[in-house]
Amino acid sequence: MQPLLKLTNIKRSYGAIQALKGASFEIMPGEVIGLVGENGAGKSTMVKIISGFDSGFTGEYELNGEALHFSSPIQAERAGIAVAQQELSLIKTMSVAENIFLAGDKVPTFVTKRSLSKMSKPFLEEVGLGHIDPSISTDRLSVGEQHLIEVARLLAHDPQLLILDEPTAALGESDSIRILDMVNRLAKRGKSIVYVSHRLDEIFKISNRIIVLRDGESQEPRQAADLDVRSLVELMLGRELNNMFPARVAKRHDGAPMMKVQDLWPDRILERISFDIYPGEILGLAGQLGSGTGDILAAIAGATQSRDGNLVFKGRNFLPKTPKEAIDAGIAYCSDDRKHDGLFLGRPISDNLSSAALKRISTWGVRSDRSELEMVTDNAVKFTVDPARLPQEAGVLSGGNQQKVALAKWLAINPDIILVNEPTRGVDVGARAEIYQKLRELADEGAAIVVASTDIQEITNLPDRVITIYRGIQVGEIAFEDMTAAAILKEITDPFDETGLHEGQMA
Amino acid sequence: MTSATTTSNPNFVQRFARDHSPLVIALVLIFMAVCIIGAATAPNFLTVFNFKTIIRDAAIVGIMAIGLTFVTLSGNFFLLSMKETAALAIIAFATCMAAGLGFPMSFLITMAIATVAGAVQGLLIGLGGNPIVVTLGAAGLFFGIGSWWSDNLVVSFRRPHGAEWLGTGSTFGLPNITIAFVIIAIVAELVLRKTSFGRQVYLIGANRAAGRATGHENFAMAIKVCIIASVCSAFVAVAFSAQVSSAHVNYFSSEFGSSGDMTIMVIATVMVGGNSIMGGYGSTLRSSLGAVFISTVDNMMVLHGFNSGPRVLAVGLMIVFSIMVFALVRRGSRAEE
Amino acid sequence: MTKLKNWIVSNPDLAFAILLSGCVYGYFAMTNEFFATHRTGFAIMERFAVLGLVGLALTLCIIAGEIDLSIGSNAALAAVITVRFTDSLGAPTSLMIALIVSTTIGMIQGYFIAYLRIRAIVLTVGTLMLLRGVALFAAEEKTVMLTDFRVPDFISTKMLGYFSPASLLVIAMFILVALFMNFTKYGREIYAIGGARKEAVAAGVSLKRPMIIVFAISGLCAGLGGAIIGLRSGTAQALGLQYVLLAGTVAAFIGGVSILGGKGGVIGAAIGTLTVNFLNTGLVFNVTPAFMVQLYLGILLIVVIMFQTGSRVFDDSQRRKQILADTDRMAKLLTARRQRIRSG
Repeated sequence: MQPLLKLTNIKRSYGAIQALKGASFEIMPGEVIGLVGENGAGKSTMVKIISGFDSGFTGEYELNGEALHFSSPIQAERAGIAVAQQELSLIKTMSVAENIFLAGDKVPTFVTKRSLSKMSKPFLEEVGLGHIDPSISTDRLSVGEQHLIEVARLLAHDPQLLILDEPTAALGESDSIRILDMVNRLAKRGKSIVYVSHRLDEIFKISNRIIVLRDGESQEPRQAADLDVRSLVELMLGRELNNMFPARVAKRHDGAPMMKVQDLWPDRILERISFDIYPGEILGLAGQLGSGTGDILAAIAGATQSRDGNLVFKGRNFLPKTPKEAIDAGIAYCSDDRKHDGLFLGRPISDNLSSAALKRISTWGVRSDRSELEMVTDNAVKFTVDPARLPQEAGVLSGGNQQKVALAKWLAINPDIILVNEPTRGVDVGARAEIYQKLRELADEGAAIVVASTDIQEITNLPDRVITIYRGIQVGEIAFEDMTAAAILKEITDPFDETGLHEGQMA
Repeated sequence: MTSATTTSNPNFVQRFARDHSPLVIALVLIFMAVCIIGAATAPNFLTVFNFKTIIRDAAIVGIMAIGLTFVTLSGNFFLLSMKETAALAIIAFATCMAAGLGFPMSFLITMAIATVAGAVQGLLIGLGGNPIVVTLGAAGLFFGIGSWWSDNLVVSFRRPHGAEWLGTGSTFGLPNITIAFVIIAIVAELVLRKTSFGRQVYLIGANRAAGRATGHENFAMAIKVCIIASVCSAFVAVAFSAQVSSAHVNYFSSEFGSSGDMTIMVIATVMVGGNSIMGGYGSTLRSSLGAVFISTVDNMMVLHGFNSGPRVLAVGLMIVFSIMVFALVRRGSRAEE
Repeated sequence: MTKLKNWIVSNPDLAFAILLSGCVYGYFAMTNEFFATHRTGFAIMERFAVLGLVGLALTLCIIAGEIDLSIGSNAALAAVITVRFTDSLGAPTSLMIALIVSTTIGMIQGYFIAYLRIRAIVLTVGTLMLLRGVALFAAEEKTVMLTDFRVPDFISTKMLGYFSPASLLVIAMFILVALFMNFTKYGREIYAIGGARKEAVAAGVSLKRPMIIVFAISGLCAGLGGAIIGLRSGTAQALGLQYVLLAGTVAAFIGGVSILGGKGGVIGAAIGTLTVNFLNTGLVFNVTPAFMVQLYLGILLIVVIMFQTGSRVFDDSQRRKQILADTDRMAKLLTARRQRIRSG
């Protein structure tokens, strides 16, 4: 049988960075391929190339045996390839039916709302939402249902190949099961599905074969039945660990914790969370995408609402309601989306670096250029950002340098606690090492650092101990001696042993 | 560190060439070319008197534009109520003067009213109201209050009234209103460049979410910048009233000036200077120069004997042209918007 | 009864608009004996002709996430063109010319907004002035006047009690646009790019087509409105019609548009315009000076904005409640799971 889609020897570079170094991909009709890989392994690049969003690659692209090269995603869509992105692209103010038939060739030009509702029924059935009234506004549905509507929209164009990128990241239990059921149903009908996900339990549940991407290269597709968690993790994490992570020493908690987090209940978290943060250590919050680790950090930093909670910090009992309160108390917070709220892209780097500490470089409201220059140069150097670039716009920096700036600006407030969500997202290898080094130095100088990350390697090798979170609940704590990738993965993907995926056992 | 000295104080031409793309430089060159052509064909263009006229005509719109620039730079778009705030202020001032309160008192009361007008709008905007709509409503409100207060009549006060120095006086051969414009322009630019408040304006304008994350909320900022803009409008109103010793709500309406609608002129001035409507990019210096630019074009048309029709057309054309140039430039350099 | 209640809950903005409209009408009907009469109805519909078009145009622009500040200037230009050329070319021809000009202007603006990615509000600040200059030019600085007053008489002929050819034409326009917005793909695209532009573009909706369509309609409405006013009164001023922007915006917001875009409709535009008209006419009847009308319009706008902001805040708190409810539900499922595992 001929593969539906076959990509061979794909190379793609962005400037100096090689995202894909000769990777391959293939999928049969009616097959479900699980595409896995760590952050930065090239998964999103591969998805973009398959779906026609990226035409700047070299290599062979064959659909049904025919060599093609799409120059736009619309062409790929016409050829029957559809991709459901992580970010929803639904128009929340419009109805379900209108969202399903929004754009593209299959959308009728003249039609009443009622006919649209009728036409959308079969597609709603297919994604398991046959009970929903297509004429209601989309913003009344839950997030999980919205993701399903997104897929329904894609199905309306009758694709042969469907790519689902982290479909269950934001979903709860029952919604995730719905998605998996839908994938099985579609595969039985002959559609091919590429399931891209970090959730290894789901990958094992529904994939026929698994393709692993690592550092821009691909492995041969393997039957899912032939793998288990440990072997899969081994395939995924091939990187040389030696130089990237600073050495660690087992820490003893001598003194009192710097901060006690008590009964913190951020809005999307299922149960109250409590843990202690000690000075001089890096604490890791491990959890999959959507588990809530970011919400916990944001709640401590006053950047998101919580129903309840108390922080015992520097002799006070409080919970910041705004970021300003947290900053004034000495808590620094760097979110996972630097472009959204971590950087002022249009402003010079020096403006960025001093943005959190304007008070310290001003007297009576007047800024001192000299104090500012001193402060920002200092902090830039500390994070290995070239001071000569200070007047440049932050937007021209590479991802790694941008992240460094986003982190470095917090040095200006001399924080006691530094909370970082995804410290190296979209950051190249060289900058990653520098960031890890600096975080370790800050801890050694007495600060308390809490890092949340979905990158398995990072969360295994950077922190001194790890607290595991699964779908909004606190599972447990793993001490330094027990911190292995497999152990952490186990707790954050399958804490209740439901799928029977013990380390070393078959799926 | 030589690089440090260069980065903190490069000279103006260096910085201009570095910060501005070829398109903007082309715009500037076109402007200079137009000036040269205008100078060559109109006998009175290159005179000191004419330059003084240009700046004086730019002063009124210029001062208001400087105030509005703070609002725009902070990411709060525009106030569509500049004209009506001025109308309210002028009535307030003239009424106080006519009641014999004297200049200092009348001035203070007018500024207080303007502060309240600005604060109310800033409050609604800071709470999340859309600036366009809030200020559109406020405009109607202020105009109505001003009309009702003055019964839609002209309010006059007798000379001497202690405000001649502002309205018609001059110092060193320059009308005081011009000096006020220059002073305000310099002060505003200094505030933006040298104070932490000025930096906050840019930060919040560049990225509101990042501003919040670093401890700068738009709520307080919206109130402050709206007050600044309103106070500038009121200042202009006072100056104008001092000039003509009277006031009427319609003084700033369509019939005023060659180009009509003052609110539009002020907004256009801010845009022509190249300030980004999204905030975070630009300066009050640019708005001042924008005012002078527009005034120059208008002035040249007058010298050539054109009527108001072609003048408005020329100014409008120039505004649209500059807006498009800046949009293209920005699209080239930064993809996000 | 429950059907009505359900309708109100699912269309709060429209329900509020109707309520407001009724209140305004009722207030003036009760305080002035001449208000609720035949002739007043006719006068209101006459006003509706022009203001309705502007309200419709602005409603569409705001639904698309933009605004057309130049609509008044565009209308004034159309008025000048129509009146100027009626004597020489006849009313229908000059009307055609004016409409072609105004629609083309709209299309050009839509093109620049879509292709150059300029915000409409920025561009129309400039075109407002530009078009005013063109109008001044076309009118040669004077007030233009008709010599033959048969046309104005015709346009204002009373038909069916409340209507005239002008208002009937406008109503037809409303119906057409309503059909377009609700029953065609292109109309839905306009809602999409307004309500969620990034998502719409990501979902493959073209930005250019709906933008050009919206501004073309805006130009057409402005032109038609200006032409009607010009022909009806027999005169046209280049600097006139500036008040339509405020009145039209208020009408649009009363009708339920949201400044965020994506919300509103033609019916709302009609109700909003009627409400503003009731207010206008009623104030005139109560011998209120013209400047006070602006005051009331301003207050009305602020009231509507406060209602919209209030309902948005309410929506946000409802959303939070839903998130919390979802979270609680998942927590219950989790506890059940845990128990099952422990026992099983």
